[in-house]
Amino acid sequence: MAKTYDYLLKLLLIGDSGVGKTSILFRFSEDAFNISFISTIGIDFKIRTIDLDGKKVKLQIWDTAGQERFRTITTAYYRGSMGIMLVYDVTNEKSFENIKNWIRNIEENASADVEKMILGNKCDLDSKRQVSKERGEQLAIEYQIKFVETSAKDSLNVEYAFFTLARDIKAKMEKKQEASNPAPRSGAHQLRANEQQRKPTSWLSRCSLL
Amino acid sequence: MNHQSKGNKYVCPNDRQLSLRAKLRTGWSAARSEPPLTPSERDAIAAVVKRAEKLEEVEAKRIGRLVARLEGMRRSAQGPAPRTCLLCGETARLLAPLRTCAICRNSACPKCVIDTPPHRSPLSREQYMCNLCAETREMWKKSGAWFFKSLPKYVLPERRTTGRYTDSELSRTLQDGGNSSNEGKTDSEPGSPLSIHAPTFSRQASSIERRSISSPHDTHYEWSETDILSHGFSGLSLHRTDSLNQRPLAGLKRTGSKGSAYSLRSIRKDMPKPNNQIERPPTIPDAGFGTLEIKLAYDNATSSLAVTVLRARGLIGMDMTGLSDPFCRLEVLPREGTYSNRLRTKTVHKTKNPEFNETVHFFGITESDLTVKSIEIVLFDDDKYGCDEMGSATVALRECAKSPAQLRLALSVSSGSEPTGPRILLALCYNTKKRALVVIVCRGAELPPRDSNGYSDPFVKLHLDPDPYHKKHKTSIKWRNLNPVWNEEFCFETRPTELSRQNLTLTVWDKDYGKPNDFLGSLILGATSKGRRLKHWMDCIKFPDHRHEQWHSLTDTQHL
Repeated sequence: MAKTYDYLLKLLLIGDSGVGKTSILFRFSEDAFNISFISTIGIDFKIRTIDLDGKKVKLQIWDTAGQERFRTITTAYYRGSMGIMLVYDVTNEKSFENIKNWIRNIEENASADVEKMILGNKCDLDSKRQVSKERGEQLAIEYQIKFVETSAKDSLNVEYAFFTLARDIKAKMEKKQEASNPAPRSGAHQLRANEQQRKPTSWLSRCSLL
Repeated sequence: MNHQSKGNKYVCPNDRQLSLRAKLRTGWSAARSEPPLTPSERDAIAAVVKRAEKLEEVEAKRIGRLVARLEGMRRSAQGPAPRTCLLCGETARLLAPLRTCAICRNSACPKCVIDTPPHRSPLSREQYMCNLCAETREMWKKSGAWFFKSLPKYVLPERRTTGRYTDSELSRTLQDGGNSSNEGKTDSEPGSPLSIHAPTFSRQASSIERRSISSPHDTHYEWSETDILSHGFSGLSLHRTDSLNQRPLAGLKRTGSKGSAYSLRSIRKDMPKPNNQIERPPTIPDAGFGTLEIKLAYDNATSSLAVTVLRARGLIGMDMTGLSDPFCRLEVLPREGTYSNRLRTKTVHKTKNPEFNETVHFFGITESDLTVKSIEIVLFDDDKYGCDEMGSATVALRECAKSPAQLRLALSVSSGSEPTGPRILLALCYNTKKRALVVIVCRGAELPPRDSNGYSDPFVKLHLDPDPYHKKHKTSIKWRNLNPVWNEEFCFETRPTELSRQNLTLTVWDKDYGKPNDFLGSLILGATSKGRRLKHWMDCIKFPDHRHEQWHSLTDTQHL
């Protein structure tokens, strides 16, 4: 049988055209970088299986075209994704401003409890920087989303970003499962809660004084 | 970036929502300003979609395996029964007390539970989860259903990963009699002509349509595994309408497969057709508890006994509406050693005439066993507050020598109406002068020993739920006694009209000093309870100022 995995997580990369979504994904999946710019046609995806706390997690990462003419196709993939990475270019003010629009777009199209993360890409190009790290952090705090500055070219924080997002999704999953325990109904539920604690651990721990 | 001026032509300026959309160009206002996709672009996207579909297929198969695994576990589970393990049917022993699952509140033996890691509150020091709940949870996580809030589409594996034999293999061995060797999936003729008494087969095919949100490219997998053959007597037309939403033959599509844990299991198909049925099995006079039809088939090659529980008729009603939720528990007797070989069927809800159509297999039955052993079939009413026996029947295994041995059995309540095991004698009386329900806790019997001296120190706590006065009562403690006599009287102020909405909850405890009291058993009486408990409660409402005394068995689950 083929190599199996425990969980399949679907991630999505969105952001303006040319911010480096494809490069980030290329770095993460192939650990390589291509200097030339090839605009993504519509959608694409890459797969990488990572090891997360002893579990094999298969990441299916969707790369979307930033160009507006593919917007109808790309938005169709929002709903199926468990985590979304919003990418902007630190050398491009406009792409940073558009993050707000992208978030609004997520709110309209994606599942409500999708995990989000903001990436400020191309942080190696310090000389051309237009958006400071502080502004990125400020925005992330505003929306209560995790933020990290990355560089696909220098392979900076790319792994970290994906691992963090995957771990956050996994943590959310565990939390959800725990919360799905049937909540005790009203009335005599306190009684039960007390009774629960009273169960003896084993006969060994019992007191022989009766 | 001059979309602002271009888009405004189409957007009502007051419509904030639309203008926002126009900015992002996601909506209709954006679509028209863009050039359509070129053929090469379309091809590229189609290639990606195809790649994604391939991945989806692998994923669907993986989820299918998870589902099949869980289903196998569900099928082999013994089902909730008082004082036995939910999964393996092991009875409670002193050194291995049953644990209560924190989720389903059923009890299971220590082998069939896992400790859940203590989270957040260190106070709740022990939390157990039965393997069934743990597996369900794991499946929910692994399939991504936790996120999509429903199971994504899946394809069940060809071979059942759980059983030693696949269904189709078994059905083939069952059909050894030389009749049609049709597979359940492929035959579509509505049944061969049969004799007048024999049931006609009306076929209802169905499958589960999965709402797949996971991908925008939706391909429906046709799930032919769940074909259901529903039998009905000609003239009577007894079609089951349970939680599974059945429709007459309408392609292989069915919607909705929610429901309780036990209704999720797939229904055994591949019913062998009684084509060569020659004579009608002798009918036995009905003893008032209804009849049960079964079929036995023994296979030498695999030394397995296949018992097909076809249907039951005229069962006694157990709940308020006079209906029952019957299931069968089958066991080959006498037992060998302590290993219990109990199997159960699925539960058919809200009916007195259930169609089970389920085949269970006992393995390791030798030919010599056939002459000495017998099979006991007990019908239970499925109830989360302990299952009530509705009747039982025993057949000698040599009956299966006649092939195929289709039998109709009269059910009887063998063990008498008095419960056995841990039980409590209660007297209820509604006192119209005091305007109160008087509960007399008379005595207990065969209570489980919880102290190291082989005794318990039992007392009873009781309360009414819901009770505006929040009255709680306790009996005295009877020291070192497994058959205590209390004869203590308690009053709950209430109105007779209220009584039909209230439940009386009793819990029996073993008093201990220096450590928490041990739980011995519980009992709930009320209009929502069933069987004997319901009768007792209704008698008490119907005939006030009379003392109604009755024994009730205690369940060892601390339910609510």
